[in-house]
Amino acid sequence: MKTDELIAALAADTPPIAPGALGRRLALALLVATAVATALVLVWLGMRPDVHFAMRKAAFWIKAGYTLALAACGFSLTLRMGRPGARPGPALAAAPAIFGALALLAVGELLASPASLRVDKLMGDSWRVCPLLIMAIAAPVFAAAIWALRGMAPTRLRLAGASAGLLAGGVGATVYGLHCQEMSAAFVVTWYSLGVAGCVAVGALIGPRLLRW
Amino acid sequence: MTDEARLKALMLRGLAGDAQAHAALLSAMSGYLRGYFSRRLGAGAADVEDLVQDTLLAIHLRRGTYDPAQLFTPWAYALARYKLLDHFRRTGVRKTTPLEDAGELFAAQNPEEGAVRRDVSKLLGGLSKRQRQLVEDVKLAGLSMEEAAAKAGMSVTAVKVSVHRSMKAMAKKVRDEDG
Repeated sequence: MKTDELIAALAADTPPIAPGALGRRLALALLVATAVATALVLVWLGMRPDVHFAMRKAAFWIKAGYTLALAACGFSLTLRMGRPGARPGPALAAAPAIFGALALLAVGELLASPASLRVDKLMGDSWRVCPLLIMAIAAPVFAAAIWALRGMAPTRLRLAGASAGLLAGGVGATVYGLHCQEMSAAFVVTWYSLGVAGCVAVGALIGPRLLRW
Repeated sequence: MTDEARLKALMLRGLAGDAQAHAALLSAMSGYLRGYFSRRLGAGAADVEDLVQDTLLAIHLRRGTYDPAQLFTPWAYALARYKLLDHFRRTGVRKTTPLEDAGELFAAQNPEEGAVRRDVSKLLGGLSKRQRQLVEDVKLAGLSMEEAAAKAGMSVTAVKVSVHRSMKAMAKKVRDEDG
């Protein structure tokens, strides 16, 4: 086909594009995937039995706020990485800053605790399973983010995959918080972050293969 | 009007559903893309036209990823560069393509381009608006006479005559200035 003919054929089909369609696609995919991840936690792991009590504590909301903030960074990065030529933007610096803020809080918390309790605060009861469970819960969210990205036009595939991983890890960790009873900042900043980082690593690793177009 | 402003205006109208503006955008882009890929692969390389078409298709199908709050040329350049790297990957050519800015896609090949372009725009300034547009389309953007005619809504013969006259007028102007 000659290029002129191609142009004529393409231009013959020029429907208007609604502004913000890209963000809506990602948000919708995310909504469905979060529902799936939540169902997974409730059916497979179960809601933490003391949830009503825990919700009255600041630590519960700090944990949820931390993971949600990481998810928000992931959302912003994923949307930007789906657009050719876009820079990663403020979320690239915000995510480490959010981690740093909680790390400071964790150090303060450990210093304020009696030395004999510090190891317990850091390791909790579930450090062995926490990162892996977060990654498992994040899987459907990761799939949704990849699906949404495939409808965009990512040109930096590794970065786009890592962004999808951050989004999935942040949402997965937030939902996992419905089950997990650990409350110390030291535990969250260590093991939750490790789970999220695992998602980012997986995304960076397989992103180029999943997102090529 | 700069390339950026002109192309972005066409893109925005295309996004709103204006098929004519969208066709004009794709036409203009095919000229830039042909130049860009030719410089990268060697002029006349068999793959150049495939890459041009591939990129035009991507511009069309993925135009929803353009953010109207941003510049158009970096968006288009990133798509073209992605297609080029993808081509290298598929054909097994190991070649690094440094991250240049969008200027690369919209620049002529020689390094004195800035100075040349200033001179050219001065010369073009002496032409009527319609003449100028035709010269830009045919001589700078690389559109064929047929494409330029379709874009301007003129006959091919009229375009040929107009461009020829413009070139003569500009050549005379250069001679006068030099002499």
